[in-house]
Amino acid sequence: MKEVPIIEMKGIVKVYPDGTKALKGVDFSVKQGEIHGLLGENGAGKTTLMKILSGMLHPTEGKIYVRGKEVRFKSPADALANGIGMVHQHFTLVEVFDALHNIILGMEGHGLLSKINVDKAREKLKKLMEDLNFRVPLDVPVEDLPVGVQQRIEILKMLFRDVDVLILDEPTAVLTPIEVEELFAVLRKLKAEGKTIIFISHKLNEVMELTDRVTVLRKGEVVGTVKTSEATPQLLARMMVGRDVVLRIQKPPKEPGEPILRIENLWVKGDRGEDAVKDLAFEVRAGEIFGIAGVEGNGQTELIEAITGLRRPEKGRIILNDRDITGRPPKELYDAGMAHIPEDRTRMGLILDMTVTENAILGLQWRKEFQRWVGTVDWGKAKRHTEMLINEFEIVAPGVDAPVKSLSGGNQQKLIVAREVSKKPVLIIASQPTRGVDVASTEYIRNYLVKLRNEGKAVLLVSADLDEILQLSDRMGIMYEGEFMGIVKPEEVTTEEIGMMMGGIKYEELNK
Amino acid sequence: MKSSISDLIAAFNFKALLESLIAIVIGFLIGALVLLAFGYDPAVAYSALFGGALGSTNSIASTLAYSTPIMLTALTFAISARTGIFNIGAEGSFYFGAIAAVIFTNIWANMWFGLAMGILLGALWSLPAAFLKVYRGVHEVISTIMLNWIAWFFVFWLVVGPYANPNDPNKTIRIPESARLPLIGNTNLSIAFIIAIIMAVLSYYLLWHTVFGFGMRASGLNPRAARYGGVDPNKAIIWSFIIGGVMSGLGGAMKIMGEPPTYAISQGMANVYGFGFDGIGVALVGRNHPLGIIFAAIFFGMLRAGTALMQIEAQVPLEIIKVIQGIIVITIAVPGLYDLVKNVFKKG
Ligand SMILES: Nc1ncnc2c1ncn2[C@@H]1O[C@H](COP(=O)(O)OP(=O)(O)OP(=O)(O)O)[C@@H](O)[C@H]1O
Ligand SMILES: [Mg+2]
Repeated sequence: MKEVPIIEMKGIVKVYPDGTKALKGVDFSVKQGEIHGLLGENGAGKTTLMKILSGMLHPTEGKIYVRGKEVRFKSPADALANGIGMVHQHFTLVEVFDALHNIILGMEGHGLLSKINVDKAREKLKKLMEDLNFRVPLDVPVEDLPVGVQQRIEILKMLFRDVDVLILDEPTAVLTPIEVEELFAVLRKLKAEGKTIIFISHKLNEVMELTDRVTVLRKGEVVGTVKTSEATPQLLARMMVGRDVVLRIQKPPKEPGEPILRIENLWVKGDRGEDAVKDLAFEVRAGEIFGIAGVEGNGQTELIEAITGLRRPEKGRIILNDRDITGRPPKELYDAGMAHIPEDRTRMGLILDMTVTENAILGLQWRKEFQRWVGTVDWGKAKRHTEMLINEFEIVAPGVDAPVKSLSGGNQQKLIVAREVSKKPVLIIASQPTRGVDVASTEYIRNYLVKLRNEGKAVLLVSADLDEILQLSDRMGIMYEGEFMGIVKPEEVTTEEIGMMMGGIKYEELNK
Repeated sequence: MKSSISDLIAAFNFKALLESLIAIVIGFLIGALVLLAFGYDPAVAYSALFGGALGSTNSIASTLAYSTPIMLTALTFAISARTGIFNIGAEGSFYFGAIAAVIFTNIWANMWFGLAMGILLGALWSLPAAFLKVYRGVHEVISTIMLNWIAWFFVFWLVVGPYANPNDPNKTIRIPESARLPLIGNTNLSIAFIIAIIMAVLSYYLLWHTVFGFGMRASGLNPRAARYGGVDPNKAIIWSFIIGGVMSGLGGAMKIMGEPPTYAISQGMANVYGFGFDGIGVALVGRNHPLGIIFAAIFFGMLRAGTALMQIEAQVPLEIIKVIQGIIVITIAVPGLYDLVKNVFKKG
């Protein structure tokens, strides 16, 4: 006798109002109690499919069965009532609320004003966190918490609603390796309790490690579903892309040139007035990729904001090409040859309600090549520029006049990278440049950064992905509580040593 | 690919247009129910309304004359709204524009001088709220409401005091003949209407075709990303207030300089009061788009111009028009109305 799958989607078609056919008849089924991976290139339709399953979107055609019974979800509440909950690629928390209120927000019987209900909710949550060994501070406004913690809140929010099927859309994109391990431990525990998990990721090794089965989507169609134990990363990559992918970075040795960016005794304060960057000094030279590794929240964000003119440093100097740029506004820095891929694409890198074209010239709008006469934008030229970026970086977009929010997450990220490198910078600051980007595009972006370095540009790379730092950097600084624990060459240190430095032990002290 | 793009643009604007049209239809329907409830015949009332608004050259001229000041105050609201600011200070700048025209044309009887001074005072009056917002974080709704009252009492004092007309105590002194706006043809419509249209087109050009306007819209949608993109959101906010003040100041000046036969502010400021507030409604119906505002203003002008005949022929009180206007604005403000109506039609 064949067991009835807990989730069964049949012939799902989704056409967005603008005519984009995101899903072209997808069959997808998930067994009770398994961890099911969902893979596919940027724009393949993963998020769309899961939004349909969680009631956020309505399918144009197709049927959904939960435990063998046909369902029609009008809203996420309907899906929740059937035990299906989703944690989104871009978070949906209320920033000024604390975790507790974010979690109970919108639940009947947990009115925000009823003290008894809130207390009950707090008890239940505490127990949940205890059982899973998965904790968050309940009373701190969400905006003051690091992304890793925000994501835990999103997950707890779903577990608090007693979901049986938990959908996670690229949960690891924003996590450090340690946080990823912690998350996986929790997910395994949930699986042992009988919960079903659908897991989206672009990182093949994660999918290999965590999942029981994998379904691969390509351009809105299912390529196939395989048992993870019978798959290899190469096989999955080939299913995704349709051809063999070479996961390799060509990085010839190179002698770096003159310093392009010099940081001298820099002190920067964080949002809560604490010293986030403490007396930091380093330089990035022409033809060099300088990586900054470290657990997120150790001052990387503040450091980058200070360098890019978005946060005023307390003390110290920032020098670009022998010019003191400390505290200068972003436009002046861009004119001086800086480009910046920001870590937060939806809140800083893009204006979601503007079109692809408008976003493609953000930070370039005053450039002569986009002007008809002084101070006016020539949209014809801007569009041609955008089309060029779309072609070069293989960005999947419904069109240059479409709102940028209709691009898939990875394609949004590719647009930012494309825009920034199109500035022809001498110094490029890249924060999490491949976050949420698929395998093939990740390699493309990484190779592009190496190409810039080979051309004699200076690259400052910040990434939570240690592999990325190790693969790309010529030198790297390991940051802990606003200071470098050491500046080393990747080939000189072991992963363990890096781990210890990330934990706050200075390089000099390591070999004692 | 090319055609799908233009379809998309069409779809987006089409949706906004349709939403406004639906709201207008609903406004008229509910208005009709109100008319019925009070024992009037909606058919008679509405035909009188449209006759009064469009029936003759003169009625068309008065429709357009009514539309002029609210077109400009709507631009004030829309430009600020696009920069992320809820600026309801059009009213105050409008008073100052009007009184500036009275004062300065009586110093130098030149039309351009009068308009320029109206613009200047209107713009200056927008500055306190702008600086309070940017440097002190005072919310613009609070500051502009208070500044409107200050403007009201100050200008009121000027109207009844220093600039009262010694020969006609019901009005201020008049705009000298040589400083009045020329009239179009044989009508009572002055070139103020044409200037207002030009301002709307310029506003559109500013917002959508200049680097500066791009920065303003960017700040309005996402200040953090705008700053990252090299725009100074504070500067954008200050300029949006100033440009808004320019529009309303000009509106106030032209209201007095181009309104036969009085060419003066009347006692109690009846002929300069309320245009700033009506402008908000016009901006909402025009979807905060300068070109949409042209049509919305003319529509509101029609309603105003038509009321006279509606009063005479159907004995309907003037207030009913205010009710219809109010319903339209509220209907527009209901989010997702378009989808609601679409679903109803799908099911039905
Ligand atoms: N609101 C929308 N309007 C129009 N098209 C959309 C919209 N949202 C997504 N799309 C399109 O649908 C397709 C699938 O998008 P989706 O977000 O599901 O991709 P994804 O597989 O999650 O990609 P990623 O890995 O980059 O997150 C893309 O081509 C995208 O451009
Ligand atoms: Mg996605």
